[in-house]
Amino acid sequence: MTDTTSRVALAVDWRLWLMRLLALAGLGVSGYLTWTHLTNQAIACGGSQDCDLVQQSAYSEVLGIPVALLGMLAYATLLALLFLRGRLPQAWDAYIPLAVFGISLIGVLYSAYLTYLEIYVIYAICRWCVSSAIIITVIFLLSLLDLRSGADLP
Amino acid sequence: MTTRQKKARQSSRRGISTTQILVVVGTAVLVVAVLVALNINRFQPATATKVKYPAGVTADGQPYKGSPDAPLKIVEYADFACSHCADFAQSLDALAPDYIETGKVQVVFRNFAFLTPESKPAAQAVECALDQGADKFWAYHDLLFSMQGRGGAAMSNTSLKAYAGQLNLDTAAFDKCLDSGAKAALVEADHNAGVNQGVTGTPTWFINGEIMPGALPENELRQIFDQGLSKGSGQ
Repeated sequence: MTDTTSRVALAVDWRLWLMRLLALAGLGVSGYLTWTHLTNQAIACGGSQDCDLVQQSAYSEVLGIPVALLGMLAYATLLALLFLRGRLPQAWDAYIPLAVFGISLIGVLYSAYLTYLEIYVIYAICRWCVSSAIIITVIFLLSLLDLRSGADLP
Repeated sequence: MTTRQKKARQSSRRGISTTQILVVVGTAVLVVAVLVALNINRFQPATATKVKYPAGVTADGQPYKGSPDAPLKIVEYADFACSHCADFAQSLDALAPDYIETGKVQVVFRNFAFLTPESKPAAQAVECALDQGADKFWAYHDLLFSMQGRGGAAMSNTSLKAYAGQLNLDTAAFDKCLDSGAKAALVEADHNAGVNQGVTGTPTWFINGEIMPGALPENELRQIFDQGLSKGSGQ
């Protein structure tokens, strides 16, 4: 075994744990937002009411489903996939980076739209929502590295 | 290197083709497009509200909707923190196609801000919106009532300013107007005018000068309008 291969393995392992940690954080943030939305609780927002304003806006639900709940489902799925990584038969395991890439890409694009709404339409920034946007973006970038190391990109 | 690490590394090396990646990217874009489209459809009715009747300001500076020549003149005193006022506004809205748009009824709005600490800032906010046009006033009026019951932040200073942005008002002018308290005296004067006319609670409204108590459901309001209109044509 060469130095290079063990270093690559270490890097993969390190990235995997970071992604798991981030997905867990994302689950916490979206879980908190889902809970406050469903129970009509005021959001801890550093003394600002911006978070409530965003969470009470008409944009906070899609077909009656809280956007925060969609986020929760996405983070829970990511977390499950990231913990299954390396534990499934190889034929299945190989597709986990692709699934993580796809789900986090949805998250990044949708978060970008939601952040646009906050800035230009709702005129209020919800810092919890922005945290989630940053978390999902970092997961996406990490998934890109994972995909890159496995894919036959030109 | 553990077996798991080895497995993970090996599997990540197994070929994920560029085609597969492109399919996933395409699917992701499609999913987000659907989510965005659903969201836009949901919100359109609220933002697309257009005033379909004449709106303006009376000689004494009060906003009105409906023809100034209408045989029935309603003057309404309301507080934006009052849920019956929101109900009354909704009843009037429901009757608008038959009475306001047809030039039979004119509605004049006056603030009677007294219920909660948020009542006065809200009243000042609608006056600030009125500075930018009577149609902006009514749009702001409708939005403010529709936000009632959405929790404590519905009429906070931040929210009042956000609504101005959502309705495409000149936000710099609006913020300045609201924060400077420029409309405080006007809101106070409206309140005093109401008290002088015998208003003690909200909503109180006058139909051709005759005082009417409280919010009425749509059907009762319709009866009163019809009676008033037949009385007018009989004279």
